[in-house]
Amino acid sequence: MSERRAEPRESLLEKLAPPALILAAILGVWEALVRFYDVPPWLLPAPSDIAGRFVKATNLLYHTGLTVLEALAGFAASAVIGITLSALIVHSRFLERGVFPYIIVSNAIPIIAIIPLLTIWFGYGIAPKIMIASIITFFPIVTNTTRGLKSADRRILDFMHSINATRREIFFKVQLPSALPYIFAGFKIAASLSLVGAVVAEFYGSDRGLGYLVITSATQLRTDLLFVSIIVLAALGVTLFAVFGYLEKLALRGEAAAER
Amino acid sequence: MRRAAPCVHVEDVDVAFRTPDQVVQALSGVSLQVEEGEFVALLGPTGCGKSTLLRVVSDLTHPGAGVVEVRGRPAAEARRANEFGFVFQEPALLPWRSALDNVMLPLEVVKYPAAERRARCEALLGMVGLSKFLNRYPHELSGGMKQRVAIVRALAWNPSILLMDEPFSALDELTKNQLQDELLEIWSKERKTILFVTHNISEAVYLADRVVVMSAHPGRIVATLPVELPRSRDPGVRETLEFVQHVKRAREALRL
Repeated sequence: MSERRAEPRESLLEKLAPPALILAAILGVWEALVRFYDVPPWLLPAPSDIAGRFVKATNLLYHTGLTVLEALAGFAASAVIGITLSALIVHSRFLERGVFPYIIVSNAIPIIAIIPLLTIWFGYGIAPKIMIASIITFFPIVTNTTRGLKSADRRILDFMHSINATRREIFFKVQLPSALPYIFAGFKIAASLSLVGAVVAEFYGSDRGLGYLVITSATQLRTDLLFVSIIVLAALGVTLFAVFGYLEKLALRGEAAAER
Repeated sequence: MRRAAPCVHVEDVDVAFRTPDQVVQALSGVSLQVEEGEFVALLGPTGCGKSTLLRVVSDLTHPGAGVVEVRGRPAAEARRANEFGFVFQEPALLPWRSALDNVMLPLEVVKYPAAERRARCEALLGMVGLSKFLNRYPHELSGGMKQRVAIVRALAWNPSILLMDEPFSALDELTKNQLQDELLEIWSKERKTILFVTHNISEAVYLADRVVVMSAHPGRIVATLPVELPRSRDPGVRETLEFVQHVKRAREALRL
């Protein structure tokens, strides 16, 4: 036990060193091959060129901020609507039977196919992007939350009924806290999906955002800028995932995974 | 003078459950009287409806026929008046609440004076020897400790009736015996009426004033055996001839 406790103290360097070394090796080989064979930059830019573009890229922060805003707004809308809908579903057999088929259908519709439709209705602004980010995150949030709310211990529910607890008390004191681990699992999936949704929506008819940057740099063969966009997107995805992982730890402290 | 109404009055109760391919008669023509302060054990094999009977008494399951009254009024009213403290086979604690907060849970629901909640719960946990574990989470407690928390959770708002559904059957022998003695001590101090479901014959005899023997298919009461062992009981009583005779009688009733 004490040995296991001691591990994290020396670990940060130990944890980061191997992947950093491997990354450095890959970048080194990449750089050397590009220089040695004189690969044209539109085909494969050298890491140093990409780094240079990264530093010089104007408006990168603006495009990034816009995409993050769309993704998070869509995510937030989905979280509010999704969790509310799940709460209604677990309280009403009718709603569950009536709504769940459509939730599954909504997941089956290819998201790319409805972007043009939303653009016809809502134009080229930020709104259809937020909607796509919201639609794409809806399914994992609703299904996970519903499963979580239903995971509440049946005997605890009996206990609450036996002392005449109200639905509201049962929901907030038992069902919702029981669902938290499931909700966070849904959030972590939805976080990366919300970025995908926002970027894909920007592919179609947009003049700003990381999706726009990806499409234009590709069509103009500015491959170094394309790499920069991809790297920023990957970093955003990892960051969002880590943020929700951290929030999860914060919310579930005191609980052991074994107890569930 | 007319005798006071019994604490629990069950008369001709039928409960049937529909499964996809058949109807299961969980309880058939069950009648039972439990006096105020009495300790009654419901003994029987799996599927005899003893747990269902607890649920019927506490208004969690509604009988298809029959009368259920608790302290002279319908079970539903008694439930609304918070007369029942339920303990299950598993502790069923909330993993995100500490031991103390788990015991506080019912007090938040039954509108117990907020200022007195903490002291009350600390005292109860102290009574079962958990003073040093108030702030521990369920996963940090042993099985016996968790079940102690579950028991005092069911006592927190001072309900008059304790309904216990095989509360010790998941515990090891030593812990089980320890908790049985603690329960008897609580019962003698707090004067609760206890309905205790078990499939363990000697446990039923050791604890109860009366052992109600049940049988399955359909679930029904086949015998009621008064336990004529002196109170207060201690582990030594298990070795007496009288105890063994009681166990024998209950075993024979079970075979009927």
